Amino acid sequence: MEQKAVLVVDDEPIVRESLRDWLKDAGYQVTTAETGEEALEMVEKQDFGVMVLDLRLPGKTGIKVLEEVKAQRPWIKSIIITAYPSAETTAEAKRLGAIDYLIKPVAPDDLERLVRETISSAGREPTVAAEVEIRPKPPVVEIVEVKKPFVITQDSLRSIVESLAEEMEIVGVKSRHGKYVYDRITSFEELCLDYDVTVMPPTKYLLPAKETLLKFKVGDGTRVSPVTEAIPRAIIGVHPYDIKAIELLDKAFLATNPDPNYNARRQNTIIIAVDCLNPSPKSFAPSMGTHLTETGFDLLLTDIGIDYVVTVGSEKGADLLAKYAEVREPTSDDIAKQKAVRDEALAKYKLSLDVPRERLPKLLEESYDDPYWESRSKTCLSCGSCVMVCPTCFCFDVRDEVSLNLKEGERFRNWDGCMLVDFAKVATGENFRHDKASRLRHRMYRKGKYIVERYGRVGCVGCGRCAIACLAEIASPLETFNAIAESARIKEEAKRIVREARAETELYAPRLAELVKIDKLTPRERAFEFRFMDDKGLGHRPGQFVEVSVMGIGEAPISISSSPTRDGTFQLAVRSVGNVTNALHALEKGAIVGIRGPFGNGFPIEALEGKDILLIAGGIGLFPLRSLVQYILDRRSSFGRVILLFGARSPAERLFLDELAAWSQSPEIEFQETVDRGDESWKGNVGVITTLIPKVNIEPKKTMAVVVGPPIMYRFVIIELKKKDIPDDNIILSLERRMKCGVGKCGHCQINDVYVCQEGPVFTLAQLRNLREAV
Amino acid sequence: MKPKVAFFDFTSCEGCQLDALNLEGELIDLLAAVDIVNFREVKTEREENYDIAFVEGSISRESEIPRLKKIRDQAKVLIALGACACIGGVNCLKNSLPMDEALRIVYKDDARYYDTMPARPINAVVPVDYYVRGCPINTDEFLKVVKALLLGKKPEIPNYPVCVECKMAGNVCVFDRGMFCLGPVIRAGCNAICISGGRFCWGCRGLVDDPNVDSEKDILKKYGLTVDQVTERFKLFNAYQEVAK
Repeated sequence: MEQKAVLVVDDEPIVRESLRDWLKDAGYQVTTAETGEEALEMVEKQDFGVMVLDLRLPGKTGIKVLEEVKAQRPWIKSIIITAYPSAETTAEAKRLGAIDYLIKPVAPDDLERLVRETISSAGREPTVAAEVEIRPKPPVVEIVEVKKPFVITQDSLRSIVESLAEEMEIVGVKSRHGKYVYDRITSFEELCLDYDVTVMPPTKYLLPAKETLLKFKVGDGTRVSPVTEAIPRAIIGVHPYDIKAIELLDKAFLATNPDPNYNARRQNTIIIAVDCLNPSPKSFAPSMGTHLTETGFDLLLTDIGIDYVVTVGSEKGADLLAKYAEVREPTSDDIAKQKAVRDEALAKYKLSLDVPRERLPKLLEESYDDPYWESRSKTCLSCGSCVMVCPTCFCFDVRDEVSLNLKEGERFRNWDGCMLVDFAKVATGENFRHDKASRLRHRMYRKGKYIVERYGRVGCVGCGRCAIACLAEIASPLETFNAIAESARIKEEAKRIVREARAETELYAPRLAELVKIDKLTPRERAFEFRFMDDKGLGHRPGQFVEVSVMGIGEAPISISSSPTRDGTFQLAVRSVGNVTNALHALEKGAIVGIRGPFGNGFPIEALEGKDILLIAGGIGLFPLRSLVQYILDRRSSFGRVILLFGARSPAERLFLDELAAWSQSPEIEFQETVDRGDESWKGNVGVITTLIPKVNIEPKKTMAVVVGPPIMYRFVIIELKKKDIPDDNIILSLERRMKCGVGKCGHCQINDVYVCQEGPVFTLAQLRNLREAV
Repeated sequence: MKPKVAFFDFTSCEGCQLDALNLEGELIDLLAAVDIVNFREVKTEREENYDIAFVEGSISRESEIPRLKKIRDQAKVLIALGACACIGGVNCLKNSLPMDEALRIVYKDDARYYDTMPARPINAVVPVDYYVRGCPINTDEFLKVVKALLLGKKPEIPNYPVCVECKMAGNVCVFDRGMFCLGPVIRAGCNAICISGGRFCWGCRGLVDDPNVDSEKDILKKYGLTVDQVTERFKLFNAYQEVAK
């Protein structure tokens, strides 16, 4: 509407032109008309915010013009100017919707002020149909400021309600079948102000389920007359989320193409809101920003115990307080209490949106083709309950009904909803939203996107009514928004992974290394020393492994036996047991093998540093453990005591004999060894490795035990270590599994939920307690 | 010229016909708009020349078939009146029994004098133009159909479930009151009269065009009905459709 556009209608040129000039100077776009007929032409062509109308015109009188303008353009606000004021004409003018009148001669300031006030008046005078009786405003008794909080007692509230009841219909919240409903209130006692949510929203008083729009006569004497029925009514106990819904309806029904029926009801309705202190478990009002409101009511009550803090939201509200209530200024204690009860209420909401509501339009935009709509709507009954109970749903159908004599009838509108099967069906039979999924999607798009974009307000106020009403439990916009947010997040993550993936083509391609040295340890075991062809190091941690390829034979995981602290080569000690290891044993110095890795976590050096270290190796368990022994010896000062226990089955199966000899002599390491079965040459300990453990004295809390050996050994070693009170977190074991790919994909090495090649092969006993397949 | 209207009844209680004319104030207007030429319940003289036929009752005997076909041939518009005619109604409860057993239960030793067959709605025998649903019919809806025909327009009968009108009536959901309801899949038009009266929907108006019966059954089970109870509930009025499935 062209709010700043003013139409001046006066037959006297001097008056017409002066009015025009004054208003132009004040910044209005002014059009003038000389006669009533001309004025009506103008009104038809152009939209005006205000019409300044002389009552006495040649031809069509001002009253006639007013009547026609009201019928054609009910939103145009008219100001009457007349040199001959009479009670009848001004009353008649007011009945026809004129806002005010000025008596000629008109003063420029008066005119400008009145035009300005008329345009800016938020709650403008209703456009009233003949049937509607507007009761006069109660006279203002004393001035009560708008937007200011006061405190009133329960008795004062009663007085307001009972006084209003003498002037208008009172509706409010009542209990019914254990739920709450809006209904007519006949006594103050019926009124419930502490409720969670009503079955139907109070918007039914502004947009009733069925209302007559027109009455008509059929046939030769066809006549049509608009009907606006609105009785003065007060709605008491409206929660803030419903206030926000009403504000949306105001926008939808009044901002453009103002709806006369809605307008009449709205203007005739007093709204006394109440803060929701015990929200419904299905409500998510805070996520939609609707759990509190500062606008949209005449009065807003907050129950602070015995009294109510009352916020004044309009002149009407101020008048009510002034006339019917005893108000007092709130104390700081009252204001603190109001804040406290509101905060307490806020804490009671259990549901929330996972994304900021500002992101909903974009989120929905990108989810149009999501399979979610199909799957979510499968159980939809198309029963319409969700849209019927929704305070922000306002769609309607329009139908005619005639009397049996077929001579007269009514055109009425009734609630309709986009979730109903035939909502988008046209006469040819085509249904533009024929499947449940498209209807559900449309409803959610309205709530989260279309309404927001069209009206600049959230399309769902989070009252939770639809979620309560939906027997199939699919109606909650919150659940939908969260589900598509999650789905969008997953999609985005998947896209990001693909987008950001920098796959190395070498993942499965080994680097080539030359065999530079072979040590025969036993008939079955050899240590091989390799150097990469590109001379780069392996860069491993003690306890890691590599995948070794003999091309044409295959690939096998082999633990690294040397410490990274030693020079540019690395050693792999290998027992000849399978295809790849047999092939390795057959290699000569100078042969080329493929190496991938290092893989796995390795020993937790950081956790070992500063501790006493008890190293226990059984048989070829010494292969991986040797890398740690070397590492510790090379960084000796970082560790406390170092004890190494080694057990072989027989003297002939002892490994790294030179090193064993060196360790037994070294002051830096307490070395003990044993063999399961001795022979005539063996002078040392005989017995399984567990027999060595009781012999060492350790401080259990200061000691980290690192154990590597066959699975059977672990069980008995653990028992011995627990006898020494070493905590599970301080016992470290390296597991053997079939590590085929080494990069956490092939699945062979999985123990319960862990990949040994990724999270292992080194674990603490504490970790293994949760892996039931482990030991 | 006023259209000539005839009423016929088949297997039924004839209550819908009576309700159709239970018009009080509007009966005079109706009689001014149409000529009722055939109505066993209210007048004895008959005329075999009519434009609009309202047919009550389901078809449950062989002999009823040619009679209904003759009515169809004569009538320009044929309208099913009430649950029995529209959906088969309670008569179809017997369809799950062998017919001779059904006869024996009802007529005992006299069963041999009667014949019967599985009951069916009239559209299982002849094409039907419009339906005035319910047990009994809603008089307002009957009038709406009559007026639509007089105006030459298609009667607008809801194709949405009872829930819509139930919400409009401001009712607390039957399920929230500890009872079970067929409202979510049953065609509205009754203004949820049973629920507003404190009961629940029995399904007398039949299923909507595309009912999500599976979902409704799941809901009934979720709220505590057994599969048998669910089936029983559906069968009271909708046995014909239920059995046909």
